[in-house]
Amino acid sequence: MPVVPLKFRPHTDELLIFADDAGGYFKSDHAFLHRYACGQLTSSDRAFLTANGHAYNSVGDLAFSGFEHRFAERLYLPRELDYVILVPTLRCNLACGYCQVSRVNETTPGFDWNDVTLEAVIKFLDSLSAKKIKVEFQGGEPLLRLDIITKVRDFCRQRFEACEIVICTNLQEVDAPAWDLLAEPDIFVSTSLDGNRITHQKQRTVTDRGTDRFFANLEFAVSHLGPEKISALPTLDPHRAPTPHEVIDTYLSYGIRSIYLRPVNHQGFARKKFDARTSAAAWNAYHASFIDALIEHNWSSEVAVEEYYFVHCLRRVLRSGHNGHVDLRNPNIVGLSYLVIDYDGKIYPTDEARMVTRVGQFDLSMGDVSTGVSPETIDSLNVEALNNFHPDCVHCPYQAFCGVDLVDDISRYGRIDLPKHLTDFCQRHMSIFDRIFAMIYSDDPKIQKTLALWSGAPRFDPLLAKVHR
Amino acid sequence: MIDLRIKVDPLPIDEPLIVRLQAAGSPAQSDSDAILTEVEGDRREYELNGFSFAVYGANDTLDGDVLMMLPGTTTAHRLIRAGSKHNTLLVTEQCDQLCVMCSQPPKKYHTDLFEQFALAASLAPQGAMIGISGGEPLLHKDRLFRMLEDVKSRRPDVGFHILTNAQHLSTADLDMLQRLDHERILWGVPLYSATPENHDRIVGKSGAFANLERGLALLMRAGASLELRSVVMQQNWQDLPALADYVSTRLSFLTIWAIMQLERIGYARMNWRETFQDTSTEFEQIARAIDVATARGLKAALYNFPLCSVPPAYREYAPSTISDWKRKYLDFCLNCRAQKTCGGFFEWYSAPEGFASLGPL
Ligand code: SF4
Ligand code: SF4
Repeated sequence: MPVVPLKFRPHTDELLIFADDAGGYFKSDHAFLHRYACGQLTSSDRAFLTANGHAYNSVGDLAFSGFEHRFAERLYLPRELDYVILVPTLRCNLACGYCQVSRVNETTPGFDWNDVTLEAVIKFLDSLSAKKIKVEFQGGEPLLRLDIITKVRDFCRQRFEACEIVICTNLQEVDAPAWDLLAEPDIFVSTSLDGNRITHQKQRTVTDRGTDRFFANLEFAVSHLGPEKISALPTLDPHRAPTPHEVIDTYLSYGIRSIYLRPVNHQGFARKKFDARTSAAAWNAYHASFIDALIEHNWSSEVAVEEYYFVHCLRRVLRSGHNGHVDLRNPNIVGLSYLVIDYDGKIYPTDEARMVTRVGQFDLSMGDVSTGVSPETIDSLNVEALNNFHPDCVHCPYQAFCGVDLVDDISRYGRIDLPKHLTDFCQRHMSIFDRIFAMIYSDDPKIQKTLALWSGAPRFDPLLAKVHR
Repeated sequence: MIDLRIKVDPLPIDEPLIVRLQAAGSPAQSDSDAILTEVEGDRREYELNGFSFAVYGANDTLDGDVLMMLPGTTTAHRLIRAGSKHNTLLVTEQCDQLCVMCSQPPKKYHTDLFEQFALAASLAPQGAMIGISGGEPLLHKDRLFRMLEDVKSRRPDVGFHILTNAQHLSTADLDMLQRLDHERILWGVPLYSATPENHDRIVGKSGAFANLERGLALLMRAGASLELRSVVMQQNWQDLPALADYVSTRLSFLTIWAIMQLERIGYARMNWRETFQDTSTEFEQIARAIDVATARGLKAALYNFPLCSVPPAYREYAPSTISDWKRKYLDFCLNCRAQKTCGGFFEWYSAPEGFASLGPL
């Protein structure tokens, strides 16, 4: 009876977490590890490993095929291009500390699409084979170019069977025509809400007047468009962040129940202002306290709240095929199923690649919307975008759940071959997965309740937390 | 209950005949179209290629329905009711298993009507999903496969939901299975326990579990769509959580896992006392199975459960599934706010022997 390779890592108690390449996991002790490593498995070990999907009798039998299926489903296969991020202008009416790289002043000329760019973008969209399209407008402040948004929207509506348009706006200046547009059924709003009023003002709006205007607009958006059409993210510096409770209360007061915590981004000019290079530990501590606060909140409240990325990681632990989020995929092949078109018509595989190029670190562009896609650089990155055979990840029990972010590595370290455990990406994910397993193996009813809510099941069953001895 | 048989004046035929009934004045679209010419009381007269015949007694519309008339009999089978989503072709009554709760106990002899069924399916309304049931359809797999290919070439929009015990698939069928349209064919395959002996005992065939594993592995390899069907009984009640675990490690490719209540007919009626599990008073094992499957990202559903028998947290898993023609509601359902979404009971459900804890929501 062959047993698939198991990777392991010490857990909080004297036990170890074991996991295989398809993401099957369990907890056991050092004695089992010894028997496994020395080929001395007992019949009860074998029975357990078989039942839990780590062993099979012959190649092609159902246990083997089931393993193959779960393994294959964990690999991300890029679809056809059906998602484009458009940056019609870099101009912005705010000057947030962490965003210097992706903005210029509202009055600066030369940072908008011109008619030729717009025409080329429309032509490019027309050339896509997808039946449905998702378009995300970023900036700068895209609402400064309502005219462009309207033209692209009109084109997409008649060209595709369905379109979804997301506008990433700071909700600072929204005039009547913009509100009309935002109220249309295929338009969605994504905005920044940096935790609470004080932090939002410090990091973004600066003056009381600016802050008042933002919160009034958010209030209006929630009541007129409905909270389901609005998503908001807090970008926080863990050293200067509001308490988790303040963040949760602020978000709940606008009916937003999913909070996607983002650390202040290290890239670009922002690195001069914020010391983010060594901040993984500080961020991990803040993030962990945030999860604690959510567990407390969910225990006593009717209204469940989640941290979006943590829930995504939890679901990646529990199931195969959960590859819907661009930030955590394996292999993380970029430049195929979605693209960014910058204010000057240059094409990038991701928004981060755009920043890396803009600050002059590396040129990660992949052509120009007028002359066409040239994927050579990105293709050579994509070759490395798989964690299955990475010399560090190959020993990590979290490998099947985790992913790769080479652009982040380049941006932080200027290279992609740093030992994994030294990277911010690995440190953040190791911490998240350690926490997830601590929760899975906890018998605290509060934690169990939150796990059930976040896994989507009515209750969290003990069969999802097997311990073998 | 809607009658699936209908009285006809016998026709002078010596082969089974498939006809599609069409409203008065509609143009015949095929040689099988019969056009309504006259209605008199409960008698409707149709014309088919110059011949006329009459059908009696149906009180709903028959437009678009497909009938099968058999030589020398005065009843026709309403194979396809155009207005219903619950049309099933019973392609054979033979079976190699003998399940304790079989609702359609097997018979020894087989009448081959595959050609007629293929014609009937190709006359179905646009986009129809047609059930194929038995007995065990794969006992005649060559005929069945030919029928599926035949209908696919004529009517690619028509889909099939095939109920099979998956005992009779072999690697030689892989090509064939791969050629079928996985969007339009759903394989409904029963599995009752992850403990081989328990499954074998329930289906009355030793070695069935091992065969089933081979069949399921083939379906997976072919890329087929699977509806796994697990009827809940006293015999497998304790096995459900472990079954959920088995399903999530072996069968994560499935489209849906149907956890099903018993249909009190056939052997299930005979063995009711030692088989029926009253899930209205005790739900825990099902709850656990759903908890595990859902956390693992699998779609689980409760088939044939009256909504009020299910604890509130699990009601969203219980769609209305009992076929329209054999569905009924009880007196107290009149006052229930959930009747629209509740599937009610099988026609042959018996309240005194059934769920102990029910009542309007
Ligand atoms: S990046 Fe780190 S946490 Fe992720 S798989 Fe590799 S070693 Fe594990
Ligand atoms: S009372 Fe009748 S209609 Fe209502 S949930 Fe129960 S069975 Fe269904």
